[in-house]
Amino acid sequence: MESMIFEELQNAVIEGDSEKSVSLAKNALEAGIPPLDVITNGLAKGVKTVGDLFSEGQVFLVELILAGDAMKAGMSVLLPVIKESKAEMISAGKVMIGTVQGDIHSIGKDIVGTLLEADGFEVLNVGEDVQSETFMEKVKEHKPDVLGLSSLLTVTMPAQKDVIEKLKASGLRGDVKVIVGGAPTTQEWADEIGADGWAGDAVSAVSLVKQLIKG
Amino acid sequence: MYRLLGRGEISAVHTAAMEVLERIGVVIQHDAALKKLADAGATVDDKTKVVKIPEYMVHDALQKSPRRHKLIARNPKYNIVIGDGDSYFTNAFGAHYTIDLETGERRLSTIKDLEEFTLLADYFQTVDYIKPNILPQDVPKSVWEQEMALAMFKSAEKHLSLVALTPEGWRDVIEMAKIYAGGEDEFIKNPSIIDTGFNNVPPLKYTREIIDMVLECAKYRIPFDISTGLLSSASGPVTLAGTIVQGIAENHAIVVLAQLIGPGTPIMWGSCATILDQRYGTAAYGSPENGLIHAAFCQMAHYYGLPYYGAAGVIDSKVPDQQAAYENTMNVLLATVSGADVVHDAVYGIVEAGVTASYEMFAISNDICGAIKRISKGIQVTPETLAVDIIETVGHEKNHLNTPEALKFTKKHLLEEQWQPLISNRTSRPEWEKRGSKTIEDVAREKVKEILLTHKIEPLDKKMESAMRKLIEDRTKKTKSN
Repeated sequence: MESMIFEELQNAVIEGDSEKSVSLAKNALEAGIPPLDVITNGLAKGVKTVGDLFSEGQVFLVELILAGDAMKAGMSVLLPVIKESKAEMISAGKVMIGTVQGDIHSIGKDIVGTLLEADGFEVLNVGEDVQSETFMEKVKEHKPDVLGLSSLLTVTMPAQKDVIEKLKASGLRGDVKVIVGGAPTTQEWADEIGADGWAGDAVSAVSLVKQLIKG
Repeated sequence: MYRLLGRGEISAVHTAAMEVLERIGVVIQHDAALKKLADAGATVDDKTKVVKIPEYMVHDALQKSPRRHKLIARNPKYNIVIGDGDSYFTNAFGAHYTIDLETGERRLSTIKDLEEFTLLADYFQTVDYIKPNILPQDVPKSVWEQEMALAMFKSAEKHLSLVALTPEGWRDVIEMAKIYAGGEDEFIKNPSIIDTGFNNVPPLKYTREIIDMVLECAKYRIPFDISTGLLSSASGPVTLAGTIVQGIAENHAIVVLAQLIGPGTPIMWGSCATILDQRYGTAAYGSPENGLIHAAFCQMAHYYGLPYYGAAGVIDSKVPDQQAAYENTMNVLLATVSGADVVHDAVYGIVEAGVTASYEMFAISNDICGAIKRISKGIQVTPETLAVDIIETVGHEKNHLNTPEALKFTKKHLLEEQWQPLISNRTSRPEWEKRGSKTIEDVAREKVKEILLTHKIEPLDKKMESAMRKLIEDRTKKTKSN
């Protein structure tokens, strides 16, 4: 019975069917399956399958995003129950991502976020044109393991450096790994500004985050 | 000439684009520009910065926007008229990395690369005016645009299109252009001695900095290209028709604004749009959809009486290989036969979609573009070229290599009829083997080295150069004291 629900949940996520994901999550709760198991063996597994296929170029981005949405829809049923029971969610790690001040590009950063979620990370997407001070506040508040700074414009790259300097000045730099990305950025630039890593595409960004959290 | 859209389709695309402009609007993050647009009849939401532009404002702007305009070069023999019916080609824009000509290693780009690519662009006949092929990584960002402008002023006699990244840097470049033109008065008279280009942030958005620089161009009537940078299925609709509709709305917002500020400002109206590859989340420029987008956009530009500027030859391949060659060929050819007035990124000395410069690819693409220009020239049909007299003289027994009249006829027409490639191999196999059985990449590398050693241009006036250098030094000092 359980394994059948898990399989159906996985398929709902793989098909990107949010409605089905919600109703199956409800069924699972009614059947008395622990909500954490529903996530681990159902929703998360489905999204991981799609994420892996995407990394291999086997499914389309639109399918990955829809799968992510279907997972979140199912989670919305389960999370209140988990909170009530005071059980602990196990996540692969907490990653905060945002596009730096002066830059309003979002697509690249959002793809990285979706792929990280597919791999079991908790992702806090703080948006675009984010001031360095706002990054400070959010890092203090949410304590992410990794902070990802995106910049698609050559002229906004210095803002990535600014965030790192401000983290240092406020004594937060040691608590969070900082990675940078975006079309004009390079590994050399990341080294120059003292970032912990650089990735040239979304799939390598996920590997980088895994590596940093392990290390 | 290739005509992708029918008359009814053009009209439907136009109507849809006007609906987007009027009903959905465009975000312009610039209060002064919004005020100007509101005063002229647009509806502005001060909070969201969305401006909704009625169709009559578009028509007014199109009336004022030149159908054709000059681009002036240091050497007048390179002056061109955009919109005169010919397709003019530019080189590629903006590589951060370069494949080193000597070591073959991929490394960060330098200002020396920019000088060399500009000198090559001056040499290659296919390049009609020159874009900054390189974004050098070895100069301070505070004087980036200025150092790039000087490097280009020094390295070519053709018209130069300079990069505008920040309002402050762009104003410095305009001051340098005044020196280049021979003084403020000369520049005011001939602002088209330079030009530049802008993209939006799709969907339907322009930043304050971009608008600042557009206004600066409009103030002086400096020509610029405006091209939507949308990616179908990411920052624009997946449908190509919808892509064109959104792109028109994005471009037209700038045409309306620029013609309000500086009536008669020359605008090259275009597209850097392409599709997002849904498997990898990357922009796919070497795609057939990109070519179709240019074909349709070009028809729309001409419907509006504007010259069309299409970034058509961009290569996704990471090295100058077979894929690079067919990507470059396919879309430059399609844009050209569709009648694009400017084929930007045509002579493409870059691989990896704008990221990594390749000297070898530049020479290979020069041959590709030479062939496409020949195709675009077409066949000349006159009583003389129909050649009935010569066919009769040669008759059935002789041929065109052993008949004096035919030899004379061939000599007379050869250069206008047959295009001569610079590096493509057409020798016999024994001859090819005798010369080392080289691939086109090897031949390209050798040719580039030879051109860099031998091609000389008229040096930039020493006084001009030192005046520009002083301007850059002053900026550096000002930046430091801040």
